[in-house]
Amino acid sequence: MIQTRTLLPGITLRCCRDTRFKQGCLSIQLVRQMCRQESARNALLPNVLLRGTKTCPDLRAITQRLDQLYGASIVPSVRRVGDRQTTGLYCSFMDDRFAMPGDRVIEPALAFLEEMLLDPLLEAGVFLPSFVDREKRNLVSTIESERNDKRIYAMNQLLKEMCAGDTFALPRLGEPEQVLSIGEEDLYRHYRDVLASSPVEIFYVGGLEPDQIARLLAPLAERLGGRTRSLPPQTGFRPGRESHTTEVMDVAQGKLCMGFVTSVTNRDREFPAMQVLNSIFGGGMTSKLFAQVREKLSLCYSIGSSYFGTKGILTVSAGIDFDKEEITREKILEQLAACQAGDITPEELTAAKEALLSSLRTVHDSPGSLESYYATAAISGLELSPREYMEAVERVALADVVAAAGKLTPHSTYFLKGESQ
Amino acid sequence: MNARYYEQLDEQVCSQVLDNGLRVTVIPRKGFSRKLAYFVTDFGAIHTDYSFEGREYHAPAGVAHYLEHKLFDMPGGRDVSGEFATLGAMTNAFTSYDLTAYYFSCTENFESCLRLLLEFVSTPYFTEESVEKERGIIDQEIGMNQDAPDSVVFENLMEAMYASHPIRVPILGTGETIRQITPQVLQDCHRAFYSPENMMLCVMGDVEPESVVRIAREVLGTERRAAAVKLRPWKEDMTCPAAQVSGAMEVAMPMFSMAFKCEAPEPGEPGIRREMVADLAAEALFGESSELYLRLYEQGLIDSSFGGGFETIDGCAMLLCSGDSRNAEAVREAVLLQGEKLAKEGIPQERFLRMKRSALGRRIRSLDSFDATCFRTCAYHFTDFDYFRFPEVYHRIQEREIREFLNRVVRPERCCLSMIQPLKKEETA
Repeated sequence: MIQTRTLLPGITLRCCRDTRFKQGCLSIQLVRQMCRQESARNALLPNVLLRGTKTCPDLRAITQRLDQLYGASIVPSVRRVGDRQTTGLYCSFMDDRFAMPGDRVIEPALAFLEEMLLDPLLEAGVFLPSFVDREKRNLVSTIESERNDKRIYAMNQLLKEMCAGDTFALPRLGEPEQVLSIGEEDLYRHYRDVLASSPVEIFYVGGLEPDQIARLLAPLAERLGGRTRSLPPQTGFRPGRESHTTEVMDVAQGKLCMGFVTSVTNRDREFPAMQVLNSIFGGGMTSKLFAQVREKLSLCYSIGSSYFGTKGILTVSAGIDFDKEEITREKILEQLAACQAGDITPEELTAAKEALLSSLRTVHDSPGSLESYYATAAISGLELSPREYMEAVERVALADVVAAAGKLTPHSTYFLKGESQ
Repeated sequence: MNARYYEQLDEQVCSQVLDNGLRVTVIPRKGFSRKLAYFVTDFGAIHTDYSFEGREYHAPAGVAHYLEHKLFDMPGGRDVSGEFATLGAMTNAFTSYDLTAYYFSCTENFESCLRLLLEFVSTPYFTEESVEKERGIIDQEIGMNQDAPDSVVFENLMEAMYASHPIRVPILGTGETIRQITPQVLQDCHRAFYSPENMMLCVMGDVEPESVVRIAREVLGTERRAAAVKLRPWKEDMTCPAAQVSGAMEVAMPMFSMAFKCEAPEPGEPGIRREMVADLAAEALFGESSELYLRLYEQGLIDSSFGGGFETIDGCAMLLCSGDSRNAEAVREAVLLQGEKLAKEGIPQERFLRMKRSALGRRIRSLDSFDATCFRTCAYHFTDFDYFRFPEVYHRIQEREIREFLNRVVRPERCCLSMIQPLKKEETA
């Protein structure tokens, strides 16, 4: 299904040929080790690249070029995948068969992508100060906007405090002060280093054969050149000091977040069982948290859990009234205890497994979900294809789920509350 | 079923109207695992006033959304979401200003899921106790909405911009209006608007189209029952009662939402054509390929959060833009000036063709999204237009129409601006 080629040492192309879609996509990710010193620069970089190239020196010229390509899009892609941070570009484009006779989309789109990545508009040998300044401010406001979504904000605060000392405490886009301290020369130097040394992951999905794509990308690979640096393996979370914080803001609804630790990561054999447990515990509308804490006890509007498989951390987030913190926390732990005691019905187990299987079956249903599965799996260390993953989920038995639940321990909590109800 | 092939889109679409009046559309997608079904009623938050079987009804605001929540209850304590989950499917619903949609997504057990969807949506079952209990949940949802700046800035805009259209009230209603909702109110609305004639079923995926029709007939029967008549007592002229409204919230950056009031949409092709014209006009005026966008972006008056387009809702329409800005009033002045300039000077032919090509390409790409496609197919059906005909409409649009639209709409008296400022005391943060 997925064909992998090494274009040059350190430059990997993964291709998924699929002719069912009306669009194709191609992503280029430069893979870095997540660290405080460079996370903000990695986040800023693609935004500056998207401001101007040698032949399209401003936003308007870029958009017009993309409009000409039937509204193709090129957007920044910055991900945090366990201990890694990726920086790069994501391009999607209409399939050639819908273009007017004689028109081609993918070829000029990839040529433009190459130009975006490798031929930015420069002034005195570095990025334009006006581009860098503007994008710094935009990035700071993007980071600060996370404060607008209280659910995301609360979850980030929990992870920051719970994971102090681990790369997972570092925010995906860096901290505002770090962004503001970046200079154009410094950023340009970093850009050259990122281009020269990072492992490169390219993912394509669409109607072309891998050979054709490899041919279209050959000039890009040639200009990037081979590289030999490899990154240290992904590490699981090593729990440090616990943290229990309450923060007060002017909000109408409280957000309770709880962090749990487990030794199981996506590199472990127990990973599918932990995913099934997460689904039973707080994964959706049939989960224990939703059915008991929300539906039965009406303690909250929203509740759910997430399992970060690259690290082995499980979190619960609930939107509640300010005076319901203690009782909600108690009831959440009660549901976990029920899982640990094996108090799980066959229906709950089936529903959880079916939900996971269903989402894995649909990985192949859109270019975006294919890209997001394979491009992050390669970086996170997940070695299962959706099919292998599904087979593993099907084999998960009740005892495996109970064993997984037994590996969860409460670690930290964070509560965001308002001044008055 | 009638099958029609749309060559420009490489898409086959099957459609049929059943004896009971239900419109069924199937978009077969061979080789895909996912199957998505949308069961939608042409009844949304704004349809609180209606006449049915010789009587007038004036339901409290928020009733469509409340009803959406409560339809998941079934007699005998059956748990609909749980039943879908056991079938490996996911179900959900949403209420917009002018329609309510129920849907499921599955990979296996499609026929059982479809039966369940049709069954639960067409089975009203409301007890005093469960309706009472839901109030707490909806209250929480209203609370959450009040903390979401995007919703608040838009809802403030609607309240300031319209004199009497029910879009002035949030979709969820208010703490006060939802207190007036009883099992009887829900029952009445269900009877009035959930008859097959007022609904549409749209399915996308690798399914047998005839099986969809067969199941819909079996579950919903063949009896045709008239739906209620919507009363539209509102009176709106093309001016805004207030030109500006502002509030303060826990936000990082000042934000705004701004709109120009437009004439209510017409049904059928003229309506969709105006919508596409208006979308192109929005692109020409303040889209990323526009002169204005570049200028405002470089001046730091807008950032990448800025965006806009044309919105239509039963009985109203608007050219809308929103984003973060330290000086939204300056953005408004610039948009007004640029609108006037474009209306006078027009759009160069080359640019106009490029914009059309881009809009068409983006719409074709969006057909890969099952959700967007099912939703649009239903929404356009309720305005009497076959969505898959969009390429031909694009081809017919002339530059002159863009200019006329901008000339008519981008005017100070039609403009309303809503702003949210950060709370002062947070400045130390």
